[in-house]
Amino acid sequence: MSDSYEYILRTEHVSKHFGTNEVLKDISLSVKKGEVICIIGPSGAGKSTFLRSLNQLEKITSGKIFIRDELFLHRENDHTVEKLPREKQQELLLEMGMVFQRFNLFPHKTVLANVCEAPIVVKKEKKDVVEARARELLNRVGLSEKADEYPNRLSGGQQQRVAIARALAMNPEIMLFDEPTSALDPELVGEVLKVMKELADTGMTMLCVTHEMGFAKEVADRVLFMADGIIAEEGTPEQIFTAPKAERTKNFLNAVLEA
Amino acid sequence: MKNQNEAGEAAKQSSSGEKKKKFDLKKYAKQLIVIGIILIACIILAFLKPGQQALLSHTSPAMQKMIDADANLTRKRVTATYNSLFIIEYVSLSTSGANPMSERYVGFLGRVFPADEGAMKVVGQMVNYTYRMLGCGENLMHGAKLTILLTTLTVIFGVLLGTILALGKISKRKFLSKLSGAYIFFFRGTPLLIQLFVVYFTVPGIFGFAWRDLFPASDAEAVYKGAFTAALIAFALNSGAYCAEIVRSAIQSIDKGQFEASKALGMSYGQTMVRIIIPQSVRRMIPNVSNEFIMILKDASLVFAISLMDITTISKNIMTSEGSYLVFIPALVIYLVITAFFGFIFNKIEKKFSVYE
Repeated sequence: MSDSYEYILRTEHVSKHFGTNEVLKDISLSVKKGEVICIIGPSGAGKSTFLRSLNQLEKITSGKIFIRDELFLHRENDHTVEKLPREKQQELLLEMGMVFQRFNLFPHKTVLANVCEAPIVVKKEKKDVVEARARELLNRVGLSEKADEYPNRLSGGQQQRVAIARALAMNPEIMLFDEPTSALDPELVGEVLKVMKELADTGMTMLCVTHEMGFAKEVADRVLFMADGIIAEEGTPEQIFTAPKAERTKNFLNAVLEA
Repeated sequence: MKNQNEAGEAAKQSSSGEKKKKFDLKKYAKQLIVIGIILIACIILAFLKPGQQALLSHTSPAMQKMIDADANLTRKRVTATYNSLFIIEYVSLSTSGANPMSERYVGFLGRVFPADEGAMKVVGQMVNYTYRMLGCGENLMHGAKLTILLTTLTVIFGVLLGTILALGKISKRKFLSKLSGAYIFFFRGTPLLIQLFVVYFTVPGIFGFAWRDLFPASDAEAVYKGAFTAALIAFALNSGAYCAEIVRSAIQSIDKGQFEASKALGMSYGQTMVRIIIPQSVRRMIPNVSNEFIMILKDASLVFAISLMDITTISKNIMTSEGSYLVFIPALVIYLVITAFFGFIFNKIEKKFSVYE
């Protein structure tokens, strides 16, 4: 594993079609280690699809994805041109943790088992080692007492924090957040954002698709505004929120901030 | 940190212990009391049963004489059958020879009733038929025991086979998917009775073996065991096709997010299926598997066609040999009781699996 790389994650000309519907158009993005990037924009802009393409939940139609400057995947016209061997691909994919809008916790397993599952099954780590780490992570997200509960006994905010702990248990380098607070009751949003903020403070590389403008303003190093499958505007939070250039950004921010 | 963990562990244990107590006592108090009362009543009734000797001593003097005389003879003249169904008992005596005699008695609640005519005759017959159809005093290859054994094993193998077929059917590999589809189409599209005939008659015919030869020739039950093996194979193959659809629909009812979360955590398709998807689908399968169980329980009566002695075969034999048209009533009751019992069990299993929902 080489430690000297410029970008931890980079995409070149990534496009994605669902049938004739072009969801992503030629997206190029470079992410440095430790960067926190928030992706905002109207629904249907392709924000989630972009995030999901990064860890292969969606197959891109064409474009290149690099992880740690290594060409991870190159596809053209729905055909894979070049990709890493399977094991290497798997290894790099494990560097990306993902948090979903709908939590997607395993309902038949306790909170602790949810967090321990992947390290034991995928990384073949020892159970007691993983459990100790899992309890530490649960402590970090403020849920150490809930370790033996089933997810459905928890509130949405608590479930999402477990989901974050579960992703962190794999020791990822990059965390992808797909609208982590959109399915939550308003009063529960804060507890999840707090955990995310603390995570950002530890230097984690994060890509967050979010509708929480306050969070983006405060935590992001860079804000991307996506609309109609392209990155319409990008810049620091100050630039985007105080002096947006593109007309679409202005309209979107007006609409969101008024509400 | 460690202390905290231990404290947490202890708290968890005590809380789960409390939960269990609550669970047992509060939820089941009513049922437990009812079951207890019934059990105690049955035990008292069982103790009040007069017993075989008492029944035999109630016989007529002539019969009594024959029985006493028989004690010194090697070739007995009196045939006595004694059937005991826990709380009620029945004895039937008949003699061979020039002046045949026959007497029947029912013992219940500390009393002996002659059962040669009237209501007691019917009661006696019912006890006798039920005794035979339950397969009391026989090995597992008889009566209700056979039916339950065959049904249970069929469902177990059927679900296992069905899971494999379902995974094949939803597989992205065309070949596997088509193969499973063809299997399911075939076994659902042809009658179970003919499938049973094919396994029992055609397969040994083609491959030149006999089902009974699978068991040692010294085994008196080899024929039955052979037939049972054939029936189990035919039933399991058939049930697999039906269970495949049950398993498939259960798997496909699981939220897509579960697959995505597993994939995002780096789990392979196999790991996801075995550890995440199938355990969750089990709960959703149970009502349908319970249904399938009841269907097989009734389909199991088809084994009469290959001379296995299940409830149906025995009732039919009694009907033809004794001309008793009432025999089918206890047969129906036995089926109902078995169905109710297993319905209850499946219900409990479903509740147990629902703990996280």
